[in-house]
Amino acid sequence: MREFFAASVARCEGLALAGSVGSVAEARACLDDPARVVDVLLVDLGLPDGSGLDVIRHARLRRPACEALVISMFGDEDNVLASIEAGALGYIHKDATPDDIAHTILEMKNGASPISPMIARRVLSRYRALQADQAASATGMASSRARAVPDDGEKVLLSGREQEVLELIARGFSYAEISRLKGVSVHTVQTHIKSLYSKLAVHSKSEAVFEATRMGLLPQMR
Amino acid sequence: MSLAFWRLLAPTLWHRAMQVSRVLCVAVIAVAAQAAAARTMDLTTAVATVHVAGTVSQATVTLPYHWDRAQATRGGEGVFEIRFSVDELPREPQGAYFPRIGNSYRVWLNGYLLQQAGDPERANDQDHAKAPTYVPVPAGLLEIDNVLRIELRADDGRRGGLSAIRFGPASQVLAEYERARLLRVDVSLAITVFSLLVGMIALVLWFTQQDASAAGAGRRDNIYLFAGLAEISWALRVGDVAIESPPLPWPLWGVVATGAFAGWICCTALFCHNLAGWQHTRSMRWLNAGMATMFVAALTASAVSLTSIQPVFLTAWLGFANLFFVMYALFYLGATLRKPDTARVLVALAGLLNLVMGIRDWLAVRINGNYADSTWIRYSSVLFGIALGYIVVSRFREASAQARDLRENLARRVQEKEQQLQQSYEQVEQLARSQERASERARILRDMHDGVGSHISSAIRQLQSGKASPDAVLQTLRDSLDQLKLSIDSMNLPAGDVTALLANLRYRLEPRLGVSDIELKWDVDLIEPVASLDTHHMRQLQFMLFESLSNVLQHAQARTLTVEARAQEGGAVLRIVDDGRGFDSSRPFSRGLLSMQERARAIGAVLAISSAPGRTVVEIRLS
Repeated sequence: MREFFAASVARCEGLALAGSVGSVAEARACLDDPARVVDVLLVDLGLPDGSGLDVIRHARLRRPACEALVISMFGDEDNVLASIEAGALGYIHKDATPDDIAHTILEMKNGASPISPMIARRVLSRYRALQADQAASATGMASSRARAVPDDGEKVLLSGREQEVLELIARGFSYAEISRLKGVSVHTVQTHIKSLYSKLAVHSKSEAVFEATRMGLLPQMR
Repeated sequence: MSLAFWRLLAPTLWHRAMQVSRVLCVAVIAVAAQAAAARTMDLTTAVATVHVAGTVSQATVTLPYHWDRAQATRGGEGVFEIRFSVDELPREPQGAYFPRIGNSYRVWLNGYLLQQAGDPERANDQDHAKAPTYVPVPAGLLEIDNVLRIELRADDGRRGGLSAIRFGPASQVLAEYERARLLRVDVSLAITVFSLLVGMIALVLWFTQQDASAAGAGRRDNIYLFAGLAEISWALRVGDVAIESPPLPWPLWGVVATGAFAGWICCTALFCHNLAGWQHTRSMRWLNAGMATMFVAALTASAVSLTSIQPVFLTAWLGFANLFFVMYALFYLGATLRKPDTARVLVALAGLLNLVMGIRDWLAVRINGNYADSTWIRYSSVLFGIALGYIVVSRFREASAQARDLRENLARRVQEKEQQLQQSYEQVEQLARSQERASERARILRDMHDGVGSHISSAIRQLQSGKASPDAVLQTLRDSLDQLKLSIDSMNLPAGDVTALLANLRYRLEPRLGVSDIELKWDVDLIEPVASLDTHHMRQLQFMLFESLSNVLQHAQARTLTVEARAQEGGAVLRIVDDGRGFDSSRPFSRGLLSMQERARAIGAVLAISSAPGRTVVEIRLS
């Protein structure tokens, strides 16, 4: 499987294979090596010495510019969401064709992240829960304004447009249909998705910081 | 008897001692003031003129004069003249103390009336012989030679008569009188009050304490009844000492007094029997009958004695009662010693003491006919009241201890029940969980069988036959993987959310749609979750839609494919419309269509298929 993905990347003109490793430890060593240039990470979650999520988190802390894609067998929402929260910006199915693989990588570099209706639905509900929490903690703020008006510390989680896009995706509409319905370009729709992913990852950052501190990557807080 | 004898002797001894001390005192005073030494004296000789039943007799008699004995219980009137001299005239007031005088009397000294009680001319009226009497004598009335004249009337068998008279300085005689009065009247009144109190409490307890257990529902405890009756009877009997004007004429009142005494002893015996726990034995019935008989016999004996002037009946009854109670007491004592408990021992001892007193009284009053004497049993009877008080208190303590035990027991059992309930609840929950797991497992197995399993097995058959093209095998395997993905997705689909189901299906089929030339028109409304669809139903619906879309993709040769979803009356209508070549919908359905029909029936959906060249509609109605 690893060879298949390596070959798929290698044979694409726009992409160069930076390396291919088989464990969390090797991947970390690779990411820690400043001599290597790594723009995109393809990570399988089930690695022999741990979870691919650790590799994604490591990459996010050490190489913020590096974008991670998760290789998922089923594209099922639990694994994909966990990956996104760890810092991944998309996912590739294991049964994808070599062309699909290269296409997805290039699309992501261009600012587009793949999303399924199921994941869109889950992201929506996740955001709604976060907003409810914020509204509850923001004293004296009318609940009707909670979504639209930014609190000074916390960013508004979801813009109105982003939310509309997510809702349409959850209903099964394609990017093209959405761009037609909303009168925006397909690219705009795609970047909405990518920014959503980043926001989700930011929201789990406090957990990441905790994790990093635990792993000894950040100085201990006093 | 030796005790009684001592009691009889005691006043004499007392007087001797008093006399000695008085002599000493007088000696001292004589030296100091040359005062006249007054002496107390016992006047014991009288000339009695007695009128009984029309005959008059005169005789010199020695006091005490026990009328009933002297006149064979026959009442009458008598005049007693007592002559006595003093050595010198006293200056201080004098007094006469009569341990017993009556039933009605007048006391004269030297022609002056000193005191009158009752009307000596009216028979069967008042009785002043029950309490001791003190008659003050002004010093000025006394001469060197004096005549004390006593007129009295005695009723039949009413213990009338005249006791020996103690005469002397008021200060001394009064003290003696007051002591006697204290013992005979005041203590009796105290006992009366005590008995009334105990009796009332016992009766109230009897009335209010009902056995609440099923076996003895509404039954009251006879211990309290008999104790109450005994104490009330006794209060009447003892309190009689203070009743000088009884509400009933003699001898009726005498029957009442005897009845009160009989009531006391009979009820006490029944109380003792109940206390011993014998209320359900045969002996209880015997005793009940015996005591009723004894009570009636007492009334009869008393009535006969008083009306026919034959005291022997009452004496015999008392003797019989004594005998009976001696035997009963021995029997009771024996039983108590075999199975002792505090209450029974207390009652047995009280009974024994009272019995001794009863026999002593019987001998002293009825047999010896000692006129001045009175009964002692009144003092010992208090022990029964105390025993009863002890029983009530200890029973109350026992009952409250039982109530406490019961409460603790109840609390413990409630706790146990709660634990049991908790356990069974956990078991039920566990059972429900395991059932859920089992049905989930069954669902997944069925899913594997219908979806992935069937596709993989058909791929194997295709490869084995060697006839299938690689593309066909590839298609079968892709179907298999798609089925697997859909199966996993269906686990996450919210139950009833048809929109999410359609969206997901489109997402999974997107690669196939992408490579086909068919244009997809997505016309899906946001539909509220359909209540009737559970997880299993969702999967069935997913199968149906997948089958339908696959048919279009593989066989229809259509240019456009429209997927419509509309909400309708709490349900939904889904339509798959294509403009392909169509098929003969009246023909017997293919395997795929048959399975769609089956699944529609299983989830309560209505499947309608209409097909003509250029327009095929598969409609699924969910409600």
